[in-house]
Amino acid sequence: MPVKIPAVYWEDVIIPTHLITQHKKISVQEIKHFAATFDPQPYHLDHDAAKESLFGGLCASGWHVCAIMMRLLSDTMEQDSIQFLGNEEIPGLKWLLPVFEDDQVQADITFTQKAPAMNGADFGTVDADIKVKNQHDKVVMALTATLMIKTRLSHGA
Amino acid sequence: MAHNDNVIRTRWFEDIPIGEFHVFGSHIFSEQEMIEFGTLYAPQIYHTDPQQALDTRYRGLIASDWHVCATWMRLMVNYMEKYALGVEDGRRNGAGVGFAGLKLLQPVRPGHTLTFSHEIIAKPDKVIRGKWGIIRSRNEAINHRGEVVFRVLIDILAQRAPT
Repeated sequence: MPVKIPAVYWEDVIIPTHLITQHKKISVQEIKHFAATFDPQPYHLDHDAAKESLFGGLCASGWHVCAIMMRLLSDTMEQDSIQFLGNEEIPGLKWLLPVFEDDQVQADITFTQKAPAMNGADFGTVDADIKVKNQHDKVVMALTATLMIKTRLSHGA
Repeated sequence: MAHNDNVIRTRWFEDIPIGEFHVFGSHIFSEQEMIEFGTLYAPQIYHTDPQQALDTRYRGLIASDWHVCATWMRLMVNYMEKYALGVEDGRRNGAGVGFAGLKLLQPVRPGHTLTFSHEIIAKPDKVIRGKWGIIRSRNEAINHRGEVVFRVLIDILAQRAPT
């Protein structure tokens, strides 16, 4: 049986903490499926049109890269037993480079600051700098996120 | 009206006025699509499991912030397709470069209808790769009760007129 890591609550989070997520390879099928549902523009769906576009090739929707980042972040938090409740806010995000088919991405996460729970709230927030990099170690997307982390208090209540 | 709408996408950066306001349309969020999105991308239980979600701070299933963003994108593309001369025209087909202040202000629950709006609020004085300008928009969604539930400022490229 794998050893269960004790739950990490907001009170337990140390500043700074640096986490590295798993890798995720993004297939052409995934790119097209997401695009067909949420972002049906030619450079996410059609190889020929994508070649002519400002990206120069078929690439994932920027919102798809956001969603993949969220999954990588969530899995890393789960693995480390950090009681992550989602994003309170994304203060800023930049899409810096296209993510092409079969690119492999990974996120670097640094917790930079903590803010205590508001009166009556069951979570505190942790600010994070997140950089999503491709297999060439180039940053494709950079963001700051205000993450909600459950407090120990809420757990007892 | 329709005449003006038809040229939305074929305008140059210089021709896009600050203050212009669009309503992209509405979307009803279903439980099924929330669970599908959550299972793939945001596996917190209040995005994936309606039963377990009852015991969380949200007291039920809610949509992920990224799901609301992706839906905003779909409604924008639909709107631009409808009122544009064609996607081949690249001027307003410029990609997003980033956003600021993304926040869900109220939970979005199964069956909620969100109506998305888009207002041009600024044109930062920047030239990207020699031919693109930046159009900054305030994007909001209101729910069926008229409450603002979602807000984000998004920067999108628009091609500058040839000089």
